[in-house]
Amino acid sequence: MADLVNVVTVGILLGGIYALVSVGLNLIFGVIRIVNFAQGEFVMLGMYGAYAGYAFLRLDPYVSLLVLLPLFFLFGAVVQRLLLAPLRNEPSMQIFATFGLLMLIENVVLALTRGTAYSVPSPVSQAGIGLFGIQVGVVRLIALAAATAAAVGLGLFLRNTMPGRAIRAVAQDRAAATLMGVDVERIYMITFGIGTALAGLAGCLLAPIYSLSPQIGTSFILPAFAVVVLGGLGSVLGAYVGGFVVGLTEALAGYYLDPALKYAVIFGVFVLVLIVRPSGLFGKVGAEEVGLRDQS
Amino acid sequence: MTAPLLSVRGVSKRFGGLLAVNDVSFDMVPGELVSIIGPNGAGKTTLFNLLTGQLAPTAGAVVLDGHDISRLSPNRRARLGLGRTFQISQTLTSLTVIENVMVGAFLHRRGLRRAAERAEEVLHLVGLHDRAAIRAGTLTLSERRRLEVARALALEPRVVLLDEVMAGLNPTEVGEVVDLVERLHGEGHTFLVIEHNLKVVRRFARRVIVIERGAKLVEGTAEEVLSDPRVVEAYVGRKRAA
Amino acid sequence: MTSPDLAAAAAPRDAVPRRSAASRVKTFAGELPLALLVLGLVAGLIWALSGDSFALNILATTLLFAGLAGAWNIIGGFGGQFSLAHSVFFAVGAYTTANLYLKLGISPWLGIWAAAALSAAVAALVSWPVFRLRGPFFAIATMAFTEVALAIGNYAESLTGGTRGMSIPFRLGIQNMIFRDRLSYALLMFGFMALSLLVVVAVNRSRLGYYLQAVRDNEQAARAAGIGVLRVKLTGMAISAALTGIGGGLFFMQVRVADPAAMLSLFEFGVKFALIALIGGLGTIYGPLLGALVIIPLENWLRAEIGGTLPGANLIVLSLFLIGAALFMKHGIVGVGRAIAARVRRPRP
Repeated sequence: MADLVNVVTVGILLGGIYALVSVGLNLIFGVIRIVNFAQGEFVMLGMYGAYAGYAFLRLDPYVSLLVLLPLFFLFGAVVQRLLLAPLRNEPSMQIFATFGLLMLIENVVLALTRGTAYSVPSPVSQAGIGLFGIQVGVVRLIALAAATAAAVGLGLFLRNTMPGRAIRAVAQDRAAATLMGVDVERIYMITFGIGTALAGLAGCLLAPIYSLSPQIGTSFILPAFAVVVLGGLGSVLGAYVGGFVVGLTEALAGYYLDPALKYAVIFGVFVLVLIVRPSGLFGKVGAEEVGLRDQS
Repeated sequence: MTAPLLSVRGVSKRFGGLLAVNDVSFDMVPGELVSIIGPNGAGKTTLFNLLTGQLAPTAGAVVLDGHDISRLSPNRRARLGLGRTFQISQTLTSLTVIENVMVGAFLHRRGLRRAAERAEEVLHLVGLHDRAAIRAGTLTLSERRRLEVARALALEPRVVLLDEVMAGLNPTEVGEVVDLVERLHGEGHTFLVIEHNLKVVRRFARRVIVIERGAKLVEGTAEEVLSDPRVVEAYVGRKRAA
Repeated sequence: MTSPDLAAAAAPRDAVPRRSAASRVKTFAGELPLALLVLGLVAGLIWALSGDSFALNILATTLLFAGLAGAWNIIGGFGGQFSLAHSVFFAVGAYTTANLYLKLGISPWLGIWAAAALSAAVAALVSWPVFRLRGPFFAIATMAFTEVALAIGNYAESLTGGTRGMSIPFRLGIQNMIFRDRLSYALLMFGFMALSLLVVVAVNRSRLGYYLQAVRDNEQAARAAGIGVLRVKLTGMAISAALTGIGGGLFFMQVRVADPAAMLSLFEFGVKFALIALIGGLGTIYGPLLGALVIIPLENWLRAEIGGTLPGANLIVLSLFLIGAALFMKHGIVGVGRAIAARVRRPRP
């Protein structure tokens, strides 16, 4: 029984991390209809950003955030403008381009760091709290809280602010939004910027938890895709809840079957969801098909 | 009395609380040209999708030549003899005109050369033979409509279903497509035409079925139907109200 | 995309074609002379380089990847289904060939055909649920499948040697497909490339080839033409995977040592097949060969020149090619060639 509690706790904490990584990915998908293969690399860049803040300025990762988030927002906006805007309505080329970006970022970081693994200490990184008789890392709890805050904040932003409403209008009907005077290109840049900043946020928060390597981005992107498919494409709530489903599945599979097979189990769940309910738990029916359907 | 080729028997389609198509029945004999008209939102497109297999009916049956095809997929129905065009034209943009038609012709001609020869014959029928070698993506809208008719004909269908094939065309082009359908009908092809444009229906002057709020309102010759006060009200009354 | 005015110029309405339009549709027999000419040129290249074992080595890899990219192009280019799972079919072929040889003593010359069959079966089985997804979602699912295969590969030590890898002892002999000279490997890979090219021509110039392109362009229109979309995709995928499996078997017999992580590398195999096809020209017959002739020697050079000082430098350059081609050269080398040919044929007035 204690084992089960332990495993579930691990799963929930992991789920918080996946939720954090997936929310931005799903926002980008829902609004711009682009599947960003490089999203995991943005998380990885966030981790290295936190490391740079620590190594050069002795900044705590939670402080580095304040500088990194605006930078990531700008970076995302630039990527959208220069790389993705020209590829509107060309789904295959979008895959090539974002996958190219994935390869580029991963290997540039590899070349710069020569593959040395780094870790980022934070005053709280060693601290733990006893919960149900289990030691839980404070950094993981912070990540869980941040995932919740990010999902709630993003939801409020989309519902209650003018830019948020404009983003939702574009997501629902690009043509109508254009007619209403919304500058769609600008909304795309803002959306991609927010999605990238959320990945950067995830990276900063994960820096004290994981040891840094250039390849770590790919280990986030697949669970994040599973989360997005599970939770429903384009749904913020779905990404949040889906994160916990995948996190728990991974923890349970890792404990009761074999850690080596956890991906196989996630993939099995993934395929099952696709067959039973291709639109995901919270998604609109048919959303999985919009990948090739232009919205014009 | 000829046995019906296509028989629609009490077909209904419900989307949640909305009964989009309500107990529609009609028969078509081989060689007929039947038009289905109705104001916007009357359920024409839903009915069309029930016939082509995009949707399955909630109740009732679609019978082609004695076989119930209500539960078959669109491609199975195409193989059994339902050729169709799309309201929003759906050409294969990276293929040439003749290759678009070959894709249909392969259904009955396996060899590449034979399919190409059949496709060329059909292109002559619709008057696109001099465009055979260009990419379908570069055709004008009216040419794309004729290309879709050609692709449907290449299937050697029992019935050809045309979904608002005149939409977006100018009066001259409408005249061309109407002439084409008339000519193909004269050669023995069976057509079911879904049409919003009353002028087109009058030109066809064959049997007309009027759909209103998902149900069959009247059925008769074009002249009878178009002078029926209920039809006038359905079209004109709505327009006044709007 | 061809611009409308270009296309109008291509087929003036008043010009009545001398030959019928149907007779100008190329058949397999019609395409064969060009395919054989291309194979002849490649054979000439091997002959010209036959004294240079370093160049032969690169050429062998180039031809292997040309064949593999051609195989990917069947489902990825013609069929428009962006598979990232091809490194799995590659690995299935490799381990099938290796296990049959090591455990049952079956010559790789026979083993590669079993590899083809098993790769095709795995591909069809996995693709069946995944083909519900389109575009990027299909790509994601196939990418996830690669990760699953890696987990299984590391787990199934008896078949793959696990993380420690698996090696094939050096026992010279043509029956073992193990040679000392580089020329033999170049010829072996040439044979594979030729097989792949001929299969591509046969598929392209057939009903299946047209059905694949119809599915790529518009699934709804394809269904209306009586095409069983899933069946066409599965057939294309199985043929593509069968060729990829053969390539995997040949690759393993050439390197003779590999672990699952290396065999299932997305960057080294799965994505590279797609990249080479894109650079050469997606959905074209000769594009993958052209793409391989550019990418593989370039990559070898990069690895030799700067790979030692900057790890990952070759992949940085490849990723820039990937992004650059997506932005500026969507139709690849073949597309550029066609555009130039069109301009030369019809100089502006």
